[in-house]
Amino acid sequence: MRVTTMVPDIQYGIQQSEQALNTALQQLTTSKRVNQLSDDPAASASMVLSLNASARVDRYTSNASAVNSRMQTADTALNSVVTSLTQAITLGTEGANGTLSIANRQAIAAQLQGVLGNVIAQANVSYQGTYLFGGSSTTTPPFIQAATTVTSSRGTVASPLALTTALTTGSTTTIQDAATGQSLVFHAAAGDTIGTLQTAIASAVTAGTLSAGTTASINANGNLSIGPNTASTGLVATSNEPALGAMNAGPGTEIAGQYLYTGNSTVNSVQVGDTTNVKINIPGNQLFTQGANVIGTLQNLINTLQNGTTTTIGAAASALNAAVDYVDQQRAPLGSTMNQLNSQENYLSQESLSLKTQQSSLVGVDISKAATDLSQAEVIHSATLAAAAKILPQTLLDFLR
Amino acid sequence: MSLNTSLSIAVQSLLANNGALQATNNNIANANTPGYSRQAIIFQTATPTDTGTVSLGNGVVLQGFQSVRSELLQMQIQQQTQDQAGANAQLSSLQQIQPVFTTSTQDIGTQMSALFSSLSTLSTDPTNSSARQAVLTAGQNLATAFNSVAGSLTTIQNGLNTQVTQDVGEINQLTQQIAALNPEIAKLKAEGQDGGTLRDQQEQLVLSLSKLTTITITHTENGDTLTTGNGTPLVLGTKSLPLQTTIGSNGMTHVLDYHGGDITNTLTGGDLGGTVQMRDTTIPNLLNQLDTLASQFGNAFNAAQSQGFDQNGAAGQNFFTLPSTVAGAAAGISVATTNPAAVAASSDGSAGSNGNLANFTAVQNSLLPAGSTPADAYASLVFQVGNLTAQANAESSATTASLVQLNDQRNSASGVSIDEESANLIRYQQSYEAAARIVSVINTLFGVTMSMGTNAAS
Repeated sequence: MRVTTMVPDIQYGIQQSEQALNTALQQLTTSKRVNQLSDDPAASASMVLSLNASARVDRYTSNASAVNSRMQTADTALNSVVTSLTQAITLGTEGANGTLSIANRQAIAAQLQGVLGNVIAQANVSYQGTYLFGGSSTTTPPFIQAATTVTSSRGTVASPLALTTALTTGSTTTIQDAATGQSLVFHAAAGDTIGTLQTAIASAVTAGTLSAGTTASINANGNLSIGPNTASTGLVATSNEPALGAMNAGPGTEIAGQYLYTGNSTVNSVQVGDTTNVKINIPGNQLFTQGANVIGTLQNLINTLQNGTTTTIGAAASALNAAVDYVDQQRAPLGSTMNQLNSQENYLSQESLSLKTQQSSLVGVDISKAATDLSQAEVIHSATLAAAAKILPQTLLDFLR
Repeated sequence: MSLNTSLSIAVQSLLANNGALQATNNNIANANTPGYSRQAIIFQTATPTDTGTVSLGNGVVLQGFQSVRSELLQMQIQQQTQDQAGANAQLSSLQQIQPVFTTSTQDIGTQMSALFSSLSTLSTDPTNSSARQAVLTAGQNLATAFNSVAGSLTTIQNGLNTQVTQDVGEINQLTQQIAALNPEIAKLKAEGQDGGTLRDQQEQLVLSLSKLTTITITHTENGDTLTTGNGTPLVLGTKSLPLQTTIGSNGMTHVLDYHGGDITNTLTGGDLGGTVQMRDTTIPNLLNQLDTLASQFGNAFNAAQSQGFDQNGAAGQNFFTLPSTVAGAAAGISVATTNPAAVAASSDGSAGSNGNLANFTAVQNSLLPAGSTPADAYASLVFQVGNLTAQANAESSATTASLVQLNDQRNSASGVSIDEESANLIRYQQSYEAAARIVSVINTLFGVTMSMGTNAAS
């Protein structure tokens, strides 16, 4: 072959060796083998999925730790409930002693009121502003002391509420009646006013949902006041209606020892693994008012101490034993969930590590290999340049002297 | 057989060698001219004179100069140039597209995971308003990521559209110049001369044309006929047939042949072919997939939203606002609300319920109507962009390497070697000197012959 000029080939050669040098340098400085998608399209696509999986693992990990602290708070609360109940059993047994005077029993009953208060305080425990035992009703305390009258917090003497005051569409007002054990749930529709709510309460009385005599009216302070009923039994109202504000017990109308559950039975689950969900709460009614009915049993003991005989007091006290067993039994899933969360957290950290390993093998570079590549590219480049420098200047004319 | 004959042979030799020196000079001068084909000198022995039994040579005749060229190699170079320019056109726009799909804090894949993460965090505390706000922000970020990727693709597409008009302009200019050369070359041919330098010029123009689009060349008596790859004539003899452009209904520039037929879809190869391919096929295909993903993801999210209740217990409203058609979904997607309470986390209407969030997180693992999960659909887009770029890159490198080879081969036949020309220079110089010497010898002989009579007279 007739060779005329070597310039284009030398230029191409320099270009190629410079490119190789650049690639090697880039890989070493970024410690990545794949710096742009086209370096390895398949690895880039796998990287998208792997990063996605990593994000998921991170999210499960943070969920697991958030849920874990929440559960610890719940477990601690239930532990103190058990302690309080044990104390109540001791007091009850003491109260069943036939040698005690009425006054002594009243004193014990008063102490038990305190114990009940403690139990309620634990049942109303919150974690970062969220009530733990209210089901999915987490913004208000789940156990509220019943009162004969409940009043709205909105409305003043100067600007009283009126029956014509409009209600916000979609707001919910719930009135629970301790005597009937039922509740009126009022959802405000468009155009509804306090008058509509008043009518609804009247209909609920007719229907037997609320005790006879329950009425709603605007009181002298300009608040909406519901109750008292004919028998002066307890009521609890909750509302998210802005026009009414929070519904509180009317001053001095609280009924000692009577608490109503305003939460619901919803159990929330949180995902802590692709297929692992944990239940993060136990509804308060299941814990305290159903089954062995912790609060009811305690109230019953107080009642029998005030009015009962040694026999009924003894029976009421021993009923508390069953309540303690029941709470312990309900606590068990909490413990096992916490164990599950701990092992899940371990598993997730393993998983996170293996994903990181996968990612670095997908796009990462073996540093020692990259360094070798770089020095090799360097050698080739300088060889190319040296060869070019030797060949390019030579022509026949140099020798024609 | 006389001194005069010898003198004329010597003079012819002087002329021939002078011509050869000129050709060598021209070759050296054009050693670096692109497309120049070296000129070979054609010497021929002059017809001998017969004098009885003796036949004597009559010296040398300079027949002319012949450009050394290889049509086949030239054609292969044109072909590879078309492929290279086509690949480069695609590569340069793909290199702009690539970064928007590269994993970063802003890309769609990352924002999609971030949205699911925010929902998952909300599930541990559904009434936490900052967690709710985080969901909205993550949703907005995802919508912005979709918008900006679609925006980048459209911007690149519009840039390519401008390129089409430019390319057509350049094609028209080149075909005009090529057509103008045709009659001149034909004239030289008719005179029995080699078109040499004019052919070189024309070939160089054709090569520039190859960078723009695929062409087919037919050599005819009246010069070269050029057509595009699909047969649209560009140059017929002395006439160039300019391409035209018009704005189509989609706002894109269409290319028309000289009588107004739309040939946009049939253009292949070269910068124009590559540009049209990117503008009309590759980018719309990517945009379509992106739109489908945005639309189906948005709808799946809205469906999840509609199954639950917001923080105030009202039925969930749309989370994303989507355009009415799938086309443009990626560019048009936005978050429908600025109210954190609107996230429908609740399954029972109570504010603290997180039951409906499972419907949201299910979106990430369930198949969209297109048949893959959102992450898979995005990963597939990433793969396609990477793969297209890698392919264009490989083709560009391969054609560049093959062009270096082909040019080596062409230079082997047509290129000027300075060393060779230097050697030739010495050769012709020596021949010229020798011929000049003969003239001087014959001059002396004339003198001797003339003085013969003078001597006898004295």
